[in-house]
Amino acid sequence: MLKRDHQVILPTQARAPGFRVELRGTTFRLVATGAWTVAEATQLDSALKRLRVPIPPTPDFTGEMDIAGIAEIDTAGAWLLQRTAAAWQASGLRTRYAGATEAFRILIEEVQSKGRAERPKIEKRNALTQFTDDMTKTLTGVWRDAVQLTAFLGEVTAALGRMIRQPWRFRTTSFVHHLDHAGFRAVPIIALICFLIGAVVMQQGVVQLKPFGAEPFAVNMVAILALREVGILLTAIMVAGRSGSAFTAEIGSMKMREEIDAMRTLGIDPMDTLVLPRILALVVALPLLTFIGDLMGLAGGGLMAFAVLGLDASNYLDKLRDVIDFQHFMAGMIKAPFAAVIIGLVGCLEGLKVEGSAESLGTHVTSAVVKAIFLVIILDAIFAMFLSGIGV
Amino acid sequence: MIVENGREVVIRVRGLAKSFGSHQIWDGLSLDVFRGEILAIVGGSGQGKSVLMRVITGLVTPDAGEVGLFGQNTKTLSPQDRLEIERRWGILFQDGALFSSLTVLQNIQVPMREHLELPQAMMDDLAFLKLSMVGLPANAAYKFPSELSGGMRKRAGLARALALDPEIVFLDEPTAGLDPIGATDFDHLIRKLQQTLGLTVYMVTHDLDTIFTVCDRVAVLADKKIVRTGSPTELQRHPNHPWIKDYFCGERARAASPGERPRIPA
Repeated sequence: MLKRDHQVILPTQARAPGFRVELRGTTFRLVATGAWTVAEATQLDSALKRLRVPIPPTPDFTGEMDIAGIAEIDTAGAWLLQRTAAAWQASGLRTRYAGATEAFRILIEEVQSKGRAERPKIEKRNALTQFTDDMTKTLTGVWRDAVQLTAFLGEVTAALGRMIRQPWRFRTTSFVHHLDHAGFRAVPIIALICFLIGAVVMQQGVVQLKPFGAEPFAVNMVAILALREVGILLTAIMVAGRSGSAFTAEIGSMKMREEIDAMRTLGIDPMDTLVLPRILALVVALPLLTFIGDLMGLAGGGLMAFAVLGLDASNYLDKLRDVIDFQHFMAGMIKAPFAAVIIGLVGCLEGLKVEGSAESLGTHVTSAVVKAIFLVIILDAIFAMFLSGIGV
Repeated sequence: MIVENGREVVIRVRGLAKSFGSHQIWDGLSLDVFRGEILAIVGGSGQGKSVLMRVITGLVTPDAGEVGLFGQNTKTLSPQDRLEIERRWGILFQDGALFSSLTVLQNIQVPMREHLELPQAMMDDLAFLKLSMVGLPANAAYKFPSELSGGMRKRAGLARALALDPEIVFLDEPTAGLDPIGATDFDHLIRKLQQTLGLTVYMVTHDLDTIFTVCDRVAVLADKKIVRTGSPTELQRHPNHPWIKDYFCGERARAASPGERPRIPA
């Protein structure tokens, strides 16, 4: 904001901005007064818009912006003056400024010269083209993801093959670290969740089966469900949320800071050091976590069976032994390593796809979790069809 | 309003102290910033140059001492008055600190939207004007910060800082990370805007070229306080302090000093 009097120091009084138009001789004058600043701009803008542009009766009429009465001015004020002057100019009045200080003149000239820049047009697409565009983008995106994931699976398999031939390339420390983080530290949350879901399913089962007098069968339901579906699905979803996202974030932030490029130039293969230890750790950890999840699901069901059916522990265990077959347990367990590979692959691949910015990291972490959970559920559905097909 | 030697003091810092853990960065730091000047704060790394800017702008609370802005003590300000004062300054952070989810145009309009109720058409016009004043092409308006180069992000950040025509602009390392040509352009831009808009510029910098070409006064942060203030040439001629001597009389300083290079006329 420029003040008219820089040297004279007075307590600043916000003087209300204003203007009037008068005709003196052959000159239309806009006499502006007060503070022409951005704070007053709305008011000035609407008043100036209501102002009619004077039409010169003969060509020798001129215009004048008399700003001697302006105490304070800033870009917004100068721009408003300039807009008015330009409109007058366009109607055939040669318009000049009067009463400007040196500082005011510099500002007004700057606004004059900079305000003329051409503006780019934003192209507006109609809704239909936009919709089809987005649709095409999404679908090709899905296809591209599938291709990338398959290619990445190939790379990981090749790296695994290399490592089996040269076992000293295996990164034990890294593997143990991830086993600890993705496996051991996930035990409490997975145990708790499976326990609660087991209890809830048992309670709901009893309530729903009671009208048929079949409430003891709730135990069968919980036992089969926990072993075949709930244990593995809950565990895999939790691990995808916990460790899949962590993999993407860790690898992604290394990618962001060019650490991965640095590794490559030092002759270290990120496949060996970053990807394989993580995936292998998950392949070991997920079945173990699933086993804990299965047990806790059954335990939760047992607690609820005692509460609503009055079955004590030994009766509950006897019933379980009648219901459960080894193949039920295996039907759930067999999915665990496959789910682990999916979560690990998606997590690491998304991490490697991160580009320079922090936003990109955020997007990829989100998409890693979403894709991993989606693929785990697809995997589960495929297994369900396959297992029922072979009669397990 | 505080006046000293006939000039208005817009920022007055007195007796500032601040520690991070057991590490004390200042003890009794005092500084005056006068209206209409371009002041550079220099100092070795870890002396708290950027922290001082953050203390003045209220982002960090000091352990002791007072900050006066436009003659008002910040400690006794009501939230309403504080907001009024915040409208009177603009800050350019190191990498622009543009909001990544908004386009450049929307970024420039954020302060206008927050503090004023301007018609949209006018905000667009003003934002385009600011964009062109900081030397960005009009087609940058609809781009997102991630699509801009570092130098353009700084200019866009400056345009946002200038959105409400502030009286003071704070610049945190304005030329860091720019190539020499870009840095020189930015120096000229700062001087030009300072003249056109009557700004007071408070700048944290390392760049000797910037100091010698555009700064009116330099304040040196060393030994936990501002040890000296003065014009760049004055400090170069009479350092009177080992750090200032190293800084202003080293090889780089000699190359940048006005003997070798024309000063942008004020």
